[in-house]
This record gives sequence, C-alpha cells and structure tokens, in this order.
Amino acid sequence: MDYLFPLQLFPSFYNCGPPGGQKHPPCVGAWGCYEQVRPQFQVDSGSGSGSGSGSGSGCSFTPRRQVSGEAWHQKEPLPLPLLPPKPAFVLPLKPPDPMDFTKHMQNFYQDHYQDEFGVMGGLLGDSFYPQDASTQASSIPRWQLDKFLDLLPYQTCSRTYRTVPVDLLSPLLSDSLHSVPMDLLGSLLYDELSEQRDRRLFFDGATGGALDYVPVTEESGCLVYPGGPGLDRLNFQQVEMQPIREGGGASESITTRKPISFQLQGPVRQISSSSILDQICVVVRSQYLCGVWRFSQWEEPRLLQAVSCGQEATGVSVSPHVLGEVLVATESGSVDLWTVGRGMQKVRADDANLYFNAKSPWRWCEFSAHPRVMVYADRTGAELSDIRVQPTSCHTLFRISKASKCRSGERLVLSRYLRDVHPFHHLVTTQHSAYIMDERFPCVPMLKWDHMMQSPPIFCHILPGSAPSAPHTKVLLGSQSSQEVTLLQYSGGRSEACSSSGPPLVLLRPTDSLQQLPVQIPHRRDSASRRLATPAAGLTGIQRKGGGAQQHLCVLQLTEAGDIFYQILQNDAPSHVDETPRRTAEEEAELLASEPLAWDTVSDEDVIGPTQVFGFVPETPERRRPSRTTTDSEGSGPEGRGRGTKVQVVVNENPDPGHVTSAQADKGAGLASAATLSDGALLVWRRWLQKLFLLDHKKKKPRPQNLPHFTVCFNGILQLSVKQMEERAEQVQSLRQRLKAAMSERSMLDSAPQEAPVPLPDGVSGELWEDQLSRRLTAAWEGPEAWRSWWEESLGLNREEKVAALKRKRRREKEARRASGRRLQLSGSFTSSISYQSELSDFSDSAHWGSGRSQGVETDVEGADPDTEGADPDTEGAEPDSIPWAKSPSGIRADAPTPSTRGAAKGHMTPSRPRPPSLTPSLSNTPTNQKRPRPDDYLRSLTGEQELSTQVDSLFPEVLTPPLASLTPPMVSLSQPVRPTLRAGPSQDSAPWSQPQTHSALRRLALAIQPKKKKARMGF
Amino acid sequence: LVCKCKYFTRICLERIREAMLHHRWQEAAEYMVFYPQKLEGSEIEYRQNRELIWRISIELLHHMPNSKLEDYNNIHERMKHLGVKIYLKVSLEQSFHLMLCGQIEEAKQLLAIGESWRYGKESASQHQTAKLIQAYRSLLDYVIWCDKKFTLDDTDDDSVTYQDMHSYFRQASVHLKEIFKNPGVWDPFIVSYVEMLEFYDDHEEALKILNDYAYDDTFPPNPNAHVFLYQYLKRRGASDKKLTKVLKVKQQIQKKGDIKKALGIVMDMLDFACWRKELEVWRSLNDIIGKLNSGLNWKDILSETVEPRKDWWPALHFTSFHAAQDSKENPELMKLKAPVAKIFCPGK
Repeated sequence: MDYLFPLQLFPSFYNCGPPGGQKHPPCVGAWGCYEQVRPQFQVDSGSGSGSGSGSGSGCSFTPRRQVSGEAWHQKEPLPLPLLPPKPAFVLPLKPPDPMDFTKHMQNFYQDHYQDEFGVMGGLLGDSFYPQDASTQASSIPRWQLDKFLDLLPYQTCSRTYRTVPVDLLSPLLSDSLHSVPMDLLGSLLYDELSEQRDRRLFFDGATGGALDYVPVTEESGCLVYPGGPGLDRLNFQQVEMQPIREGGGASESITTRKPISFQLQGPVRQISSSSILDQICVVVRSQYLCGVWRFSQWEEPRLLQAVSCGQEATGVSVSPHVLGEVLVATESGSVDLWTVGRGMQKVRADDANLYFNAKSPWRWCEFSAHPRVMVYADRTGAELSDIRVQPTSCHTLFRISKASKCRSGERLVLSRYLRDVHPFHHLVTTQHSAYIMDERFPCVPMLKWDHMMQSPPIFCHILPGSAPSAPHTKVLLGSQSSQEVTLLQYSGGRSEACSSSGPPLVLLRPTDSLQQLPVQIPHRRDSASRRLATPAAGLTGIQRKGGGAQQHLCVLQLTEAGDIFYQILQNDAPSHVDETPRRTAEEEAELLASEPLAWDTVSDEDVIGPTQVFGFVPETPERRRPSRTTTDSEGSGPEGRGRGTKVQVVVNENPDPGHVTSAQADKGAGLASAATLSDGALLVWRRWLQKLFLLDHKKKKPRPQNLPHFTVCFNGILQLSVKQMEERAEQVQSLRQRLKAAMSERSMLDSAPQEAPVPLPDGVSGELWEDQLSRRLTAAWEGPEAWRSWWEESLGLNREEKVAALKRKRRREKEARRASGRRLQLSGSFTSSISYQSELSDFSDSAHWGSGRSQGVETDVEGADPDTEGADPDTEGAEPDSIPWAKSPSGIRADAPTPSTRGAAKGHMTPSRPRPPSLTPSLSNTPTNQKRPRPDDYLRSLTGEQELSTQVDSLFPEVLTPPLASLTPPMVSLSQPVRPTLRAGPSQDSAPWSQPQTHSALRRLALAIQPKKKKARMGF
Repeated sequence: LVCKCKYFTRICLERIREAMLHHRWQEAAEYMVFYPQKLEGSEIEYRQNRELIWRISIELLHHMPNSKLEDYNNIHERMKHLGVKIYLKVSLEQSFHLMLCGQIEEAKQLLAIGESWRYGKESASQHQTAKLIQAYRSLLDYVIWCDKKFTLDDTDDDSVTYQDMHSYFRQASVHLKEIFKNPGVWDPFIVSYVEMLEFYDDHEEALKILNDYAYDDTFPPNPNAHVFLYQYLKRRGASDKKLTKVLKVKQQIQKKGDIKKALGIVMDMLDFACWRKELEVWRSLNDIIGKLNSGLNWKDILSETVEPRKDWWPALHFTSFHAAQDSKENPELMKLKAPVAKIFCPGK
C-alpha cells in the first residue's frame, strides 16, 4: 500500500519567504523536543457520525519526535578495516595555504632543476662556465658563484648576501632561463594550492559517494568501490555477512572474495546503482566520464557504455524504473537522459540557480516516482521536472526558505530518492538538517531532523525497516572531511505521518581508532593517523536479518586513501543501550587525576610474524590504553554514582535514594557487558598497521629521485663555420665602429637590412589612439620638444604665444592684402575679421585638447619661419612677460630649428638624440625659473623626469651596453627608431611592461632615445 | 578567572554533546551535573544558555531509566521562570509531555495558563507559539468534547452533558477558527472542528472551512485538504458531479466518466511504481481497452495515450525479465498484461 498518504499530518505553520536569521541554540539540535503532537483515536474519528470517538482513554497522542527508536550499538569499539592497506597518496592533515606557492616553486627548482633550467643551462653553459675572472669579463668569478650556491639552500636576506654580478644577470636572464616561465608556474601553483585547500574543506565532486553495496542474494551482495592509488580502478567484490561462532555467541563478520576490477581513466567520484528484477545496473561517474556496468547473480560485471561529458559531471543517477536509463547532471547546468545504447538526450538546461543566486555550478539529479519526472537540484532547492514536455514543466519540491524552517546560509548538499523505502519520498540534506519530502505534498517537509554533524553530509545510505523486529527506516548520513557517520531513524510515511525515532546516533570514525589501539611509536603513529584521517569518500550499509530478534547492521565507509572500514551494529540486547564512555577515556583519566590502570598485556609476540621478518622494531606497547576508565568512577562506589544521577538534583530537590542505587545497578550491568575490543579485532588492526608500516617503509626514500634525463649535447649547435665566424667577426667589428661613430654623432645607427635577425613588429599609428594619455605618449615618442609642447598646450601655457603668432599672421595677411590693392578692402576686412574670429575660436577649442602632433606642426611652422619671428620684435615686445623663455637662448624656440634642419639634412632615417645636460642646459637651469607662475611648477615637476632621463641616457651606454652588445645583436639593428630598441633594451628584460617602475623607466628611455618630431610620422 | 571558567564550560559542553551524540547518557548526565553549577557563577551566561540546559536536561531525562513525571515538571517549571523568552515554548513542550502521559486535564490547564501569559512585545516566533498553544488547547477541548459525546450515547441524562459539550465546543471553535486563518498544515484541527460542526449541523461553516483549506492559495498544496473535502461531500451525499470535481486520481476510475479520461488516468497510475503490480489497475485498464474496442474511433483515442509512452513503457512493463518474474510470482498479472503488451509492441 505504497500509495497511501498519511491520514493526518502534524500541524505546522507555513511561512513563506527567505529564511530568517533565527537564533538556534548552538548545539542542541532537536534534543528534548516533541515539536508537535497529533491525536490518535483508537477508532478513527475522521469518518464522522459520532460513534467513532472513544472514551477518555480512547484518545492518545503521538509526538513528531519520538523519544527513542531502535537501540543500536557497536559490537566493537572501533571500526575494522575490510581490506589490507594499499599504496595511496596521503595528503597532509593541514590543508595547504595558497600563499605558500613560492616555497613550492623553490622546491620545484631544487628537485627538478633539470626540467626547469636544463635547456637554457645547456645553451648558455659555454658563456657562463665559471672560471677565472681575468679571462672573460662577463663571467662570474668562481668564488662568487660558489658563495652564491652555498647560500641557496638557506633563506637569506637578499640585501645582505647579494652578489652584484648575479643581481645584474638575473634581470637579464630571468625570463629566458626558465623552461616554465616563472609567472606561469607561480600562478598555476597558486591555483592548484587554492583548489586543493577548497577541496579539503569541502569537495562537492564527491557528492553521492564512491561506495555502494548491491544485494544480489539474501546473504551476499556485491560491493562496488574504487581502488588503486588514484581511486581509478573500479572493483566489484562479492561480500557476505556471515555468522561466526565465537565462544558460544554468534557474531557477524564480513568475508570477501577476489574482486573483478576495471581500470578507468580518472578517479571514481560517484557510484550509483539500481537493481531491477535481478538485473543490476551500476553507473560510475568520474570527472568528465561516466560509464554503465551491468551484472546479475549469474553474470559477471561488464561495461555497457561509457560517455564523456563536455563539462564536469556533478551527479549521476540510474533509473529504478527502466533498465539502462541514466540521468547525468553537469556543471553547465544541463541534465541529459542517457539511454544506454541510444545516446544522450538533453532534458533540461539551466544557467542560473533555481531560486536565488547561490553562485554555485553544482547540479544534481535524481529520478522520482514517475519514470519521466526527475528531481533537479542545486544549492538553492530541488524541483520536480517533467521531461516529456519541452520546455520541462517544473514544480518546486524543496527550496531553502522559511517554509522548511531553514536557517540563513543553509544550502542543499544532497538529494536522494528513497525508492526502496517509499516511492514518493525524497531525502534532502543541508549543512544543518535532513528532510524527508513527499512528492505529493511538495514544499512542506514531512520530517525534519537536525543531524548535528560538523560538516555537510554528502553521502547517505537508506536502510528500509523490516517489520517487526526493526520497523524503523534508518538513514545513514556521512560527511567528508570529518568522516562523521550519523544514524537517524524514522517511521511512518504511509498511513501514518512520519515521525523521527530517537536522537541522532553518531557512529565510529576511523580517525579515532588509534586512541584505542596499542600505543605506537611516534613516527608510525603519525603516519597511521594521517592515513586514518583521510577524508571519507563514500558510505554504504548492509542490513542482515539475523535469526530471531537479532538484527545486524554493517556500516561501511570508504576513505580517499582507498581504505574501507566497517562497523557492525546490533540491536538485540537491551542492556547495551548505554554504551561505555570510550573515546574520552583518556581525557577523563586526566580529569579525575587517577593513576592509569595497568592492563594485563596481551602477548604481542604471537601475532606479528611480519615484524621480525622485515626487521621492524617490534611493537612498542607494554600496556594498552585504559579503554574504560569509568571503571574508576565505578570503583569509587555509590558516591561517584550518586554524583552521576545528580542531574536530577539540579532539577529535583529530593532525589529518591532508592532509585538512584537501582540506576546505578542498571548502569553497572550495562558497563560490564559493553563492547570491548575483542582479540580478533585487535589482531585485524595489528596486521593492518603492520602492512601499512611496511608500505611506508618501501616507499620511504630520502628524496624523490629525478628520472634520468635524456640530454642532448648542445656543443656546436649554435657554432658557425670558420669562414662564417670570420665574416661574423668582421661584421661585428664594423658594426661596433659604426655604432661608435653613431654614438659620437649622437644619431641613430642606420643598420643594413640583412642585420635584422629579430622580426620587427608592425608600426603603430599614433592617430588611432585618441585618448589623452596615448596622445601624450605619441608626443613623447616624437621628442622632448613635442612632449614639452604637448604639456604646454594642455596646461595652456603657450596661449599668449599663440595669440601673438596669430596676430602676426593676421598682420602679415593684412599687409599682403594692403599691398595687393585697395579694391577689395571692404570685403577683405570683412572676411579677415571673420577668419580671425574663427581662428581664435578654433584655437581656444583645441588649446587643451589638440593632439601633440598638430601642436608639433604648429611649432614646426613657427620654427621654420625664423625671419618672421625676427621681423616682429615690437609685437613680441608688446607682451613682454608672458613668454619668459622666448627670449632666453636656451628656450624651446631657440632649439627648435636645430633638429629640424639636421633632420632635413640627414633625411628621414636619422633620428637625433637629445642633448646631454652638459651641452644644453635644461629648462630648469634657466635663471627665469624662479619667477614662474604656478602652472609652470607643474611643468617643472614633469621636466624633472626629463632631467632624470638624460641621466639614464648617459649611464646607459657605459654600463649596460657592453654585455648587451655581446649578447644581443638586436641592439645593432636600430633600423626603426623606437620600439625595437626598447624591446632589446635592458629595462624591458628586468621586468614586465605592466610594472609601474619599469613603465617610468621605459618612458625615460623612450625620451632618451626618441627621434625628433616629424621622423616618427613614418610610423614606428 | 572568567576566561578559565568560560573555557571550562565550553569543554564541559563539548563533552556533554559528544556523549549524547554517542548515546552515552550516563556519562553525559555526569557532566551535566557540573555544567549548570559552573554557569551559576555568572547569571548572564546562565540566562543565555537556559534553552540549552532545558533541552539537554529533558533529553537526558528521556533516556534515564527511572525518570518520573515530577522531574520533567520540575525542569519545565524552573526553566519557565528563568527565562521569559522561552516561557511559551516550555509551556507547549510541557503540555505535550502531559498529553503523551495521558494527563489531558493537566495539559489543558497548563495551556490555559500559557494562553493568558503576557510579557512585553512578542516576537514572530513567540506569536506563532502562542497561536499553537491556543489551538492545542482547543484540541484538548475537542478531546473532552468527544468524551462527553461518548457518555452522551450511553447515558440518558442528556441535557446537562449536552450543555457541557456545547460550552466546550464554543471554547474550541473560537481559537480553531483563528488558527485556520494562518497558512499551514492543520489536519488534526480541521478534522476535529469539522466533526463538531457536523454534530451541530453547521454545514455551511464546515463546507466553508474545508473549501478554504483546500483552495486557498496561500496554504501549501496539502492533498489531505482535498481528501477531507471529498470525504465530507461524500458523507453529505453530494452529487457525483460535485464529487468528481474535487476528486483526485484514485477514486475517479470507478465513476462512469469520460472513457478517454479514464484511460489516461489508469495509464498515469501505471507510470508510478506503487501501482505497477496492482491487479485492480491492470484489470480496469483491460476493461477500458475492451470498451474502446467496441467504439468507433478507438484507435485514435488509444494512440493519443499510447504514443507518448511507446518508447519507454515496453522497458517499464513488458521486458522478458518482467515476464519471467510475473509468471513465477503472479501469473494473473501476466495474463492481464498480455493484451496491453500487444498494443505497445505489436510485432512481438
């Protein structure tokens, strides 16, 4: 009767809207709450007519949260390993810090120097062979090199222990020495480290879990799990829970057979299975690949089909209705219905999150009660979407909102269709809660738990109840990083409303096991604890109906190291309800300041064969940890117990002494028979640890050795024949001479075309760059004059000068007109006045925004017309103080003719170099400086740079050119004036373009080497 | 010193939590003895943690083998007087406990006190708790009303009991009506209120309440709301037409509706896992197909529902595995399936 809907649901408010910031008590969850109650009449009164109502005792109430469920308890106080340890990559306990990428780079350079520096090292080896300083000027003296290498392994202050040649060379070579560029390596390492850290904190790719148990027959089933160091080997292993006789009492254990395994191309992230009529379908998801395997009781597993998803797959779900149908959700937000053998069909595509922007690409999909309706979930909620119609019609199943009493910041982490438990139910988990949702009554949870786990549960396994001995449905939730497993129980869902049974029960974690095992020596303990603390990767459970009332439950947990741990729970003995405190035993011992109990040691010698064989130190413990220190408090007699039950004293003034003692007796009985570590379990653990240490021992080597490198002899690869060498030497000789000549002339070297080994970039047209900065830069390329005039233009300093020039021009025109005759006088004056106005307005418009180039033309015109200048002394005198430098011999206008005439003489190809300060005093040296108005201060601050540039310029040939000339031939090929020179120049080598310092240095250089105006018009 | 104390309380709380999560109740109880003692030092902290203490204590009492009702009451009373903010919550939980223990009268009294309790400005959640307290009090009124009604049938002394009943009804109806105005799931309240209204022949009101509950958009889409309405109408002997209007899928097939619709509904039902093995559904599908066969344009009608399912129904119902299992476990189902299978896979 799966289709029944509960006759009456528990009353509750339905609050729409986003979750409010409700204050929850920090850690109590739903303890001590009934939440709601529901009346139940012995005869259903809902049918009306009055006769149904019972008498006073006829009405009873059912709470939504029942006080207790089935009492499950562990058989052993710690989980047992199912398989021997295999080699695995075990990550450090602490997540990596992305800012440590420099350390990783350093390690890489030291460990893999051949990979990083091998190529360039081989090429440059000849030139850099450390030798006597006297033989080659450019090489580093040996002692310096030795000192440098000695200091390398230490973290030294780069200021104190600096080596000048190394410092000089490093900017030159830093971007060519590395086979992997530093920037690239650094950013890649940073990305990788931050991804690893995020992954350690919460890795949503593992949602669903990579461990599954498929029951094949009544007793046995198939465990599907990944193996291998990278979890990239899929294993199908038949396992069986068997009763073993042990000292009279039957107990359960797991036996395994040899697995059938398949090698995959990526780590397994999720395994989903479903069995329809004896046929079992298993879907495996790795990062980009999904595969379907099929097997049955009689057939071995075989791969049916594998597909590659374009995007990273985030969830797969195999249909419980139709064999061979699979839903695949990918990060892009699309869901495909994959019918094995027939291909994929896109059934839904969604770029955005469902209900609000959660900024998460994670998507999930599950089937529902209807074969053609699927559940589509993301972090904000889940929707039921009918895939028969396009676009899919959707109904909200669950959303993060007040209706489900979510807290703010709560997000959905897993959704699971509870096909075996109830055909209409879905389990939805968030960081704080777990919900049972009914498809027929969407939006309102049938049941809500506070699971009280520390990290979000992304694995779950559902075990349907089996009446009558264990009628409750059990929900196992597992989290990843903290390895928690929580058991929740509930009942109802059909004719009764769902109600939870008992508070959540936390199961054992592998990471806590070591505390209860014999003490290990520290380094072994560290490696074992690291291995045991690996995040969980999957969770599953096996339920076995034991004979009679006894029920067994086996919970299996997979870790990312590929280990599977299992714990067996049983629920038969009521005296086991209260477990002994075990985990806090040690701390409690400290707390009570009691002397640790000396345990009679179990003889270790009979167990460990391998130890002696492999020359290990025998296991250290002479005594085991006291696993039950409560014996202490037990021993302290009725007083101690009395304290224990004083919880009632807190609330109840007069506790009944009689029942205190009876409670004691009960507890005492419970403690006496509580699960202790059995010898069998201890043996299993001991063997497991021995094998683990053996693995470690095999693996342990001082430092990972590099693979031997295949090296190519570079000698002679770049050498020329003798004749070529001679030619080359001659060429270099002549080039040097020409360079010298050009330098003395302060002109650019006009190189021959065949001497251009470096392809030159295309010319850049300044006109295309319209913004102010580009214009200024264009002007700057044209020379200091143009640059200065651009600034003057933009600051409006030369306004008066311009006005004067205009006036002069007008006057000349007037005079010319006057000379031509008086016939057109009227109209002429008319037009001239117009033109004057228009010219003025033009000027004022372009005063601030005119491009440096047009300005250049203007001054050029001025400069090219010296006689006009000289012809109008009175005009200049009319505005005496407006252009102070106009009269000084070191002013701009005085300089202007010189380059232009030289340019005219030498032709377009000859740029001119700026004057060294000794030859031409810069502007700031002029005596008129002191009287400048304020805008000029601004200008001066700018020209300060100019002065600097000349200094750089003067330094440049002395210091840096010799090594450059020997190393970089492009220096010679200055056929095009500006950029190519810079590309080969030293400051470009030292740092990327984007750095501000370099930028200013570049500009200075640019100013230093730039040609005069007009030359640049040919393009760079 | 304060720091040290805080540290201690935090550790203590951690231990309590740990022990409780592992269901080591005795250990948790031992720690719990110390915890409030440490908190007593600072009154503020005690007030901040009172809900925590209350909840943990109650949970521990649940799992103590010999906890008594007095213990519960003691904790509840103390907590109520410690914190005004959780007064209503505690009252409600306490009354739940009493109800579960069968002490209806005491629970009702407690709720009545809670009802009249006022303190300052109430927050939204407090407001809702207050509403719930009223509703539960009314529910208890109803329970007592039921008892009276039961005795009414037995005894002859009608008038006094009847008057009593009526006063309970009036008390209950005030607050029940109130809570139905808030969107939510109110199944138990609705059922009890409608039963009382029916008893007093106030059918208009009952119908209005049920209609509102079923068709108000602000309410969540509760299937039970429709079920209640349907059951009520059925009891009232409403016409088929009216019934089918409210009907959900299940009941419709028996009625002589449109045969096309019926076919669609049966097919829809068979889509779902829970009806796939129901003989009744397959039988009615066969009946419908048989009836269709005698009609004129049966092929068109059939293809309309069959066509969209053609690509997945064979895999869902008619594989060789299904056949094998059905013949083993349920031969009759196989017989019923066979004619339908012919329609879906005519070749085989």
